[in-house]
Amino acid sequence: MAVPVDAYIPRRPTLLLIVVLGLLFVLMSLSTRTRYVGETRTMFERTVMTIFSPVPKLVNWVGQSTSDMFHGYLDMRRAVSENYALQQKVIQLTTDNLKLRQSEGDLKRLRSLLGYADQFNMPTTMAQAVMLDTSGRFKSMIIDRGSNAGIQVNDSVVNANGLIGRVVMTTKDLAKVQLITDSNANVGVLIERTRRQGVLRGDGASGATLNDVPSLADVQVGDNVLTAGIDGIYPKGIPAGVVVKAEKGQDLFKSILVKPSIDFGNIEEVIVLQTRKIPNDVVRYTP
Amino acid sequence: MRWLRFAIGLLLALTLHSLLDSFYPNALAFFNPYVILVVYYAMGGNLVGAIFAGIAAGLVQDAYSGAIFGLHAFSLTVIAYIVAYINSRLVLRGTLPFGACLFGGSIVNDLVMFIMVNILLKQKIEMFEQEMIVKAIFTALFGMLVYQLLTLFLREEPIEAARRPAY
Repeated sequence: MAVPVDAYIPRRPTLLLIVVLGLLFVLMSLSTRTRYVGETRTMFERTVMTIFSPVPKLVNWVGQSTSDMFHGYLDMRRAVSENYALQQKVIQLTTDNLKLRQSEGDLKRLRSLLGYADQFNMPTTMAQAVMLDTSGRFKSMIIDRGSNAGIQVNDSVVNANGLIGRVVMTTKDLAKVQLITDSNANVGVLIERTRRQGVLRGDGASGATLNDVPSLADVQVGDNVLTAGIDGIYPKGIPAGVVVKAEKGQDLFKSILVKPSIDFGNIEEVIVLQTRKIPNDVVRYTP
Repeated sequence: MRWLRFAIGLLLALTLHSLLDSFYPNALAFFNPYVILVVYYAMGGNLVGAIFAGIAAGLVQDAYSGAIFGLHAFSLTVIAYIVAYINSRLVLRGTLPFGACLFGGSIVNDLVMFIMVNILLKQKIEMFEQEMIVKAIFTALFGMLVYQLLTLFLREEPIEAARRPAY
């Protein structure tokens, strides 16, 4: 026969309360005794904790996971926006860097050009190369200064590295320059070391030949070639190139190849030397 | 059914306790979910059941708090008995009576704890009356909110009246 549950429930709740409170008081006393001697938990307390331990663990796990997800999401959002900002900054800094490099190059080039221009005691004009034609047999360049700037035909054109060519045509604001590598260009030059004179003629490619130098003349590879100032166009002493080949020719003259001191591929600013021209009647005068 | 509700309530109270301890450690200074649970159960009017509910809830709270083990069980048993005794004489139902019981229960809970700590630790500790009242107010408000939600959820009076004891 089944015993009803009510059979186990005390009939006097007040008595039960007193008993329970008494037991709890004993429990508290025991807990108080062990409280400050290292073993802070009674066995009963540990049992209760063990029974209910999944709840705080689960709560902690859920809370931690949610927090991690939330912070992960926030970190990701922050990383994305930071990445975007950094990309913008990289673009900006790259642009700035390029500008600065360009400015630095310009500054260096212009400084050397100005220093070079000071060497000449004649009127000079700075100009910018706007077109450069070195692809065909005829090598020329257009500069952004013309007759309005005082530029005339046969003015010499140089930069800090040396001789570029001469002005062959002018308009008011532009001028055409024949490069020394043009096959029709002729420049009176001399070997710096021996002062032996000759005529530098463009080969129509990227170099020039030094002509009219006798076979017995002392010319060596590496000799510097300067303008001689004897052609009535180019002032004396401008570097024109370096001898890269010097051999005995087929006739009375040497076969000499000269590498121009200018790299015609990267000309930007140039100096136009407004040289004093020899009057035509002096040129044509026959005694 | 009443014990099942109590068990679920105890798990929820412990969950809330753990959550608040993890993220807002000071929140439990303002309200006590175990008081809400015990008062809710005790309002059924069953004195014996209320005593056991107080012990169970109190021991769980003791196990996960730094107090003397058994202190919360003691105080919650006392208030469970008082509330159950009152409800065995006057059948209080509705949100406001529940809130009033919670307010009183919270105050009694803190008073009992204060007295027991003084006795057990043999040292005079201060009683923070203002904190006690604030805690009682918030416990009552939170409990009334829970009561309203339970009413909406269960679509009936959430407190199940105990079978009248024979004594």
